[in-house]
This record gives sequence, structure tokens and C-alpha cells, in this order.
Amino acid sequence: MPVLVPEPHDPVCFRKDGKRLDGRDVDEPRPFSCEVGVIKNAQGSAVVRHGGNLIYAAVYGPREVHPRHLAKPDRGILRVYYRMATFSVHDRKSPAPNRRDNEISKVIREAIEPVLFLEAYPDSQIEVFIQIMAADGGTRCASTTAASLALADAGIPMRSMIVGIAAGKAQDKVILDLGDKEDKVGQADVPAVVVMKDKSISLLQFDGEMSLEEMKLSFKYILKGAEVIYKKQLEALKGKYETIRVNAKKESEEYQKSVKETSQKKPQSLLDTIVSKKTEEIKDTKKPKEDEKVQKSKKEQKKETKKGTKKSKKVTKKKTEEKAQKTNETIENAPQKDSEKGGKTK
Amino acid sequence: MEIVESIETPTREIVTPGMVISTDPELIPGRGAVREKNNEIISLFVGLKEIRGKYINVVPLNGLYNPQLGDKIIGRVIAKTPVKYLLNINSKYLGILKPLDAFKRNTRNRGYGKSVGSYRVKDDDLMQKLKMGDLLICKVLSGDRLNEPELTSLGQDLGQIKEGLIVNVPPPKIPRIIGKKGSMITLLKNQLHCKVFVAQNGRILIQGGKNYKNERLLIDAIHKIEEEAHTSGLTDRIKNYIIKEKKKRGIE
Repeated sequence: MPVLVPEPHDPVCFRKDGKRLDGRDVDEPRPFSCEVGVIKNAQGSAVVRHGGNLIYAAVYGPREVHPRHLAKPDRGILRVYYRMATFSVHDRKSPAPNRRDNEISKVIREAIEPVLFLEAYPDSQIEVFIQIMAADGGTRCASTTAASLALADAGIPMRSMIVGIAAGKAQDKVILDLGDKEDKVGQADVPAVVVMKDKSISLLQFDGEMSLEEMKLSFKYILKGAEVIYKKQLEALKGKYETIRVNAKKESEEYQKSVKETSQKKPQSLLDTIVSKKTEEIKDTKKPKEDEKVQKSKKEQKKETKKGTKKSKKVTKKKTEEKAQKTNETIENAPQKDSEKGGKTK
Repeated sequence: MEIVESIETPTREIVTPGMVISTDPELIPGRGAVREKNNEIISLFVGLKEIRGKYINVVPLNGLYNPQLGDKIIGRVIAKTPVKYLLNINSKYLGILKPLDAFKRNTRNRGYGKSVGSYRVKDDDLMQKLKMGDLLICKVLSGDRLNEPELTSLGQDLGQIKEGLIVNVPPPKIPRIIGKKGSMITLLKNQLHCKVFVAQNGRILIQGGKNYKNERLLIDAIHKIEEEAHTSGLTDRIKNYIIKEKKKRGIE
């Protein structure tokens, strides 16, 4: 049954032990997780789960501006579309963009613009589409965080990452990262966007009543909470590539091991076989050659004897002896040389 | 072998936008880096940090294609005007292809030809030769940040594509697909016997003819390179992958 008359919220925001209703401390942000590259057709995309919020962001561009008259000749333009799904809130939300949607789109655009180099893209536009799938308080802050992740994933140059987080006041206590109930019941709400490079602030809204000291304390909390979320942003951006790198390193190590094993095994086995084979071959093949040489030398001797010179006989004999010795040496050396070459087969 | 490994792929750190990558006053911020206060050089991209001589660069892992003079790219005809073709070149702008840069002028066959509708079309009407959706390999004649790049399809390797498959990858990953001194692309060509043309705008043309199994494996290998583009020792791993997959899929 739809609730026609909403019940007034219970104003209690703290437990008896001093903690908040969901068990958090005063300066503790809600559980946060994010992922990058979730939408395939977008140039860059991200999904953020911040407490009960589920937010998708997609980035397209830089690309041509339509209608053309919106294009600026000296710099690019950034367009942000903040839209809530019909099922994201308790009562059905009309899908048509209303005043609140347009205002939040503008606010987020102005929070992102200072970290982009829009002057590098004249005559073009960068578009950021933010879709709220589930809303649980603080969607504008979570949307900025998601948009920043999507822009970084798309490879658009940025000065710094940005993080959105809210502080506020409920039951006279300053608290960080308000949930839906605390947002409605509480006395004040300070959504802020922090540029993480120099801890400057690019969005600050304020609604309610606070003393100056309470304001200072809320800024302290905001910076503390932003640091926690920033770390998770970096993990998401790097993690996408680090896991692949680790797996690839393992794979290449395995490959190198296998290469080493084969390179160590192969030459040894080849050497053994080649040496044994070659020695046999040499014994078979080179002996007849010697015989031939001896025969040749005999022929020469005969020729020389015909000429009738005794000295030449002695010289030729010596030569043949030397040749024989040399051939013997070569036979001995042969297998070693082959091994040095690395075992090439014929 | 090991020496080549170390030169080709030093282990490089992954950095994120706004991260301080150096405080050395002598280094000059190159691509993807900017000097801020207190000599801090910060990164602008999610990318790989790299120091080359005096310069410190960040090589982005994703991004758009920026047309540069002399690049060979693959474009698709998406619009026509009476005097020029407009091509989608995977960039911020459309590429302009004027008919005189697209076809060789044949001076002989001039004169009146068939009639189209209420007016006559000359035989050499160059604006009728390409249709919507035609793919062309082009070269960039002029490219800067402000004007639409002008293209030509006259020259070696250039012209209309008649057959083949096109695979899309992010343009910053193209250098990895080519490899150092073309090592990766020659590996792919030698192993898989396909014609491969890698265009600078992130489109890869594959012509395998009848050996479609090789084409499939080549596409898988390209996607593997795309995924692991930021890792070291890639060429060896791809070689191993192709040899394994060949056995699995029964490719000779």
C-alpha cells in the first residue's frame, strides 16, 4: 500500500551509547566502494556505492557540439546531466528533468570545471551523464565522486581528482556524511567537494543553522572523510590495471622458466648424440681419405721416381707424414669444435 | 634476449591525475604532465610514468585520437557536400576528403555521360564515386587543434578498402600493437599469415583471405595485447599464446 500521508520522522539520530543509528562514529563516513570501466560503449565510466546510494556515471567526448550555437571558439564546454531513476526514491519520481535535477546538474558542472583543461578543446564539448539508481541522501556529493572517476577513466586531462562529501548537524552534534534520515531530521547540511591536489574546495552549499566553531569542525570532518574516499578512488583507478599486470607477470615468469628449461636440456642432449655420431662418422669417412692421400702420395712418388730424384722422395714422405699427423689432430679436435658451435646437425 | 627485454619494457609506475610524480627542478614536464607550485610536477592522466633524458612524461592508457601530419588512418564516409566527402576518423573532428585528393585525374574520359534525375552527370564526376559507409585508408595532409584535418587517399598503401575486417582499439594502445621496431606486428604476420594494416586512429584492418581461423585468432591476440598493453614482456607472452592457441584450435 502506498503511504499517502508520510509519517513525521522520529527526531532521534543517536543511540544510547553515543553512536549513530547505523553504528557509525560522529566523524566516520558511510561504507564506500567504486569501480571503473563498467559501461562498454562509453569512453569512460564508473559506478559508486556510497551508503545506500548507487550511482552510474558515463563520459563521452570531447566531441562536436549540438546545437552548434552553444560552441565556444576559445574553449570547450562541459555538460552534466544529473537524472534520477523513477524507482530510486520512495515515491515514484517523474522521469522528466525538474528544477532540482537542473540545479544539481549545474552545481556539479561548476564543481568539476576548475579541474579540467577546457581551453585545450575549443569548439567541442565533454558530456557527463549521471544516473541515480538508488538514492539515500547525499547524492550530489556521490555523483561528483563518480563523475571524477569516469573522467579520469576516459583519459581526459585533469589537474586533480575531486571528492564530494557532506557534513551536518543533528541533535546539536556535528556529524559527517549524513544519511537520508539525518538529512531530513537534522538541523544543518553542508555538502562540499574537495579538490584533492591542494585540498581546496570547489563546491560549498549550506542549509540550516551552525555556529562558526561548528562550521570549522565540519570542515575538519569533511577533509578527513574525503581522504578516506580518495584512497578508494585511487585503488579503483589503479586496480583495473594492477590486477592485469600481476597476472601478466606470473604468465611471463612461467614462460621464461619453460624457455630456460628447454634451452638447458636441448643442447646437452644434442651434444651427446652429435659427438657420438660424429666420431663414428669421422672414423668411417676420414680413414679412406687418408688412404687416398697415401695412394696419391705413392703416385707422386712414382712420378718423382721416374724423374729420378732421391731428395724429392724424402721430402714427399715427410709431407705425407705431416699430413697424416694433421688429419689425426683434426679428428681429435672435431667433436669439440662442433660442441662449441652449439650442436648444429647436418 | 634478456638485454632486449630490459630496454623494451622497463617496469613503469601507474599514476593518477593530480599525483605528484617528481619534485626535481631540472626535469621538464613533457606529455601529460604539468609543473605546479614548489617545483611539483603533477600527472594529468591515468597512465604510465616515464623519464626520458630531461623530460618526464605520462603515457595515457585511454584517450582520443589527435590527427597529426602524415598519419595513416582509416576513415568512413558519413556525409557528402557538393565539393567534398566527410569522413569519421575516430577523432573530435570529421576528416575532409576533397575529390582531387581522392582519385587520380583521368583527362581522357571527359565529356557528357548518363543523366541522373533532371541533370547530366559527367563520366568523371568524382563526387559520385564513393558511397556512404565506404572505408578508406587515408593520410593526414594538415592537422591542428582548431581546424578539421584534410586527408588524401592517393599514395602507397592508401585507397578504398574492398575486403577485410576492422578491429577497434583505444588509440594510445596502437604503439604496443606495432611493438618496438615493428616486432609485435611482424610476429603476428609471420605466425598467422594475414595481411594486417594498423592505422594510427585505433582501427586495424585484417585481411586473412580464406584462412578465417587465423583471422579469429589474430583478433583474439589483438584484444589480449589491448588488455595487457601496460605490462612488460608482452611480445614473448603473445608468441606463447599464439603457439598454444594454434594447437588448441588445430591451426597448422
